[in-house]
Amino acid sequence: MVTDIIETRGLTRSYGEICALKPLDLLVPEGEWLSVMGHSGSGKSTLLNLLGGLDRPSGGSLQLGGEDLMALSEDGLARFRREFVGIIFQQHHLVPYLTALENVMMAQYFHSVPDEAEACSVLERVGLGQRLKNRPGELSGGEQQRVCIARAIINSPKLLLGDEPTGNLDHQNTGMVMELLKELRSEQRFTIILVTHNREVAAWGDRIISLDDGVLVREERTRR
Amino acid sequence: MHRWRWLMHIVLKSLAYRQGRSLLLLGVLAMAASLVTSLGIVSSAMGLRVAEEVRKYGANLVVLPAAARIEVGSGGLDFGTITEPAYLPQDALLRVVGNEGVTEYSLHLRGHLKAGALEMPAEGVDFAVIRRLYPWWQLQGGWPGADEAVIGIDLAARLKLKAGDRIRAAGTAGAREFRVAGVVSTGGEEDKLLFIPLARMQEALGVGSSVSQARLLAQTGGVTLEQRAARLQGLLPGSVVREVRQVARTSEGLLKKVQLLMALVTAVVLIAAASSVASTMSMTVLERGKEIGLLKAMGATRLGVLLLFCGEAVVLGLTGGGVGYLLGSGIARFVMKTVFMVSAGIDLRFAGLSCAVSLCLALLGSAGPMMSVFRLDPVRSLRGE
Repeated sequence: MVTDIIETRGLTRSYGEICALKPLDLLVPEGEWLSVMGHSGSGKSTLLNLLGGLDRPSGGSLQLGGEDLMALSEDGLARFRREFVGIIFQQHHLVPYLTALENVMMAQYFHSVPDEAEACSVLERVGLGQRLKNRPGELSGGEQQRVCIARAIINSPKLLLGDEPTGNLDHQNTGMVMELLKELRSEQRFTIILVTHNREVAAWGDRIISLDDGVLVREERTRR
Repeated sequence: MHRWRWLMHIVLKSLAYRQGRSLLLLGVLAMAASLVTSLGIVSSAMGLRVAEEVRKYGANLVVLPAAARIEVGSGGLDFGTITEPAYLPQDALLRVVGNEGVTEYSLHLRGHLKAGALEMPAEGVDFAVIRRLYPWWQLQGGWPGADEAVIGIDLAARLKLKAGDRIRAAGTAGAREFRVAGVVSTGGEEDKLLFIPLARMQEALGVGSSVSQARLLAQTGGVTLEQRAARLQGLLPGSVVREVRQVARTSEGLLKKVQLLMALVTAVVLIAAASSVASTMSMTVLERGKEIGLLKAMGATRLGVLLLFCGEAVVLGLTGGGVGYLLGSGIARFVMKTVFMVSAGIDLRFAGLSCAVSLCLALLGSAGPMMSVFRLDPVRSLRGE
């Protein structure tokens, strides 16, 4: 029986008088790939930040992997992020003075202990075995995004969050990254929540939900 | 890889990446630490140097017997106070001065001897000590050997004596003949005295191993001369310990003023350095907002991020301290050589002081910016807000 890894009830997020996310009820089964679509300002990144424990809701309830995120302290949220979640950013956000290998090891350091051999094998898995010692500035956009993916999965998270992970990539690199995510998901069985405004990218998921002005306006199953 | 080794690796890479700013911080810390080191070394050496200069003036403490004082009166009449000669036991004096920061001492026994029918003031001393402790004594002739004497220039004129002559001096307990080895001229009371070896004076007066006065050269490091005198007096019952005030007090006062000035200059420089570190670190934190947000997004606790910044401050602080010590030692050596004409040795205590000052500056200067690291929100930081 598949259990729900994410369960939100009336989840809201307001910034002063602006309501970025209106009461949202959402269930995500374990292992599902959910794509979240919407225009700029639709609330999709706000939802992702809440699911990743980067931000706190203004109201409602938020259960992730059986844990009530509303009840966690700052340090509790930090523990949740390092043990439960891997995040892929649109801007990559790699540490500029560290090599690809060290960027991945940094995530290990905050999780447990830096392990060079394990970090190397993950980078090889994402096709960067020859670029271990290169700094982000010496890598292409697609390569930087693959380092970001390696960093996100190095601690075997249960939930992988992607905030427009292909937003800065060309068509070819987008295809490569999405194919890689699909392979990794089948190997590691993590749940993926991927925010995008690109329907083609969203279609890689099992289910697509669309947000508009902070409201869930559509939900559809893909053919995959 | 061990977590601490990894932390150090990241800290060094981060500092190397921002080498311009790191060098600037290092320069500020090294400058402040070098100032503390150089002023510390100079100040400490100055104390020793002044003590050395004071030493040239002779003793800075005098121990006298607390003479028996008797109030004399009858009925409603007060005839005043009479005092009797009193002595200090030589053995007790020697036991005490050996343990109380006294680097030099001279024992004196004052009394009156007769040369024929003429009574003259005389003093028993150890000539070897006098020669060392009172270098300003100008002597015509030479320093005396055993059973030889030195005569003050005024007394020599009165007795019509010169170096090489002989004098027979008699006390209450015996008489002895001395050869006058030299005639002393100091411009002080010494010019009116006959000086003979201490043991001979004790025999002549029949007072055993007693003295009437001890002059001490006491170190003042750590305590004031007044405190030293009070302590000695407590250890020598029946005695009065007085300061030879003029020289010692002036030297101490001057030294304290110079050291206060140095401390003020150092404090101003340290405050300026701390402000400089604080502003540079604030800029660094602002620039690294996204990086901090990323680390928090990866699951770093606030303390975990703080540890990285503290690590950078510690590395900069200790390196700045080390460089500052070397620089400061060099400056101190130069100052000591050109101003005080002496060479300063290597004092490793100041290496610790230099590192401690630099480390405190780096941590204090970083405290404010680090607090803002503590409060940074990961979402807003990643957005670059």
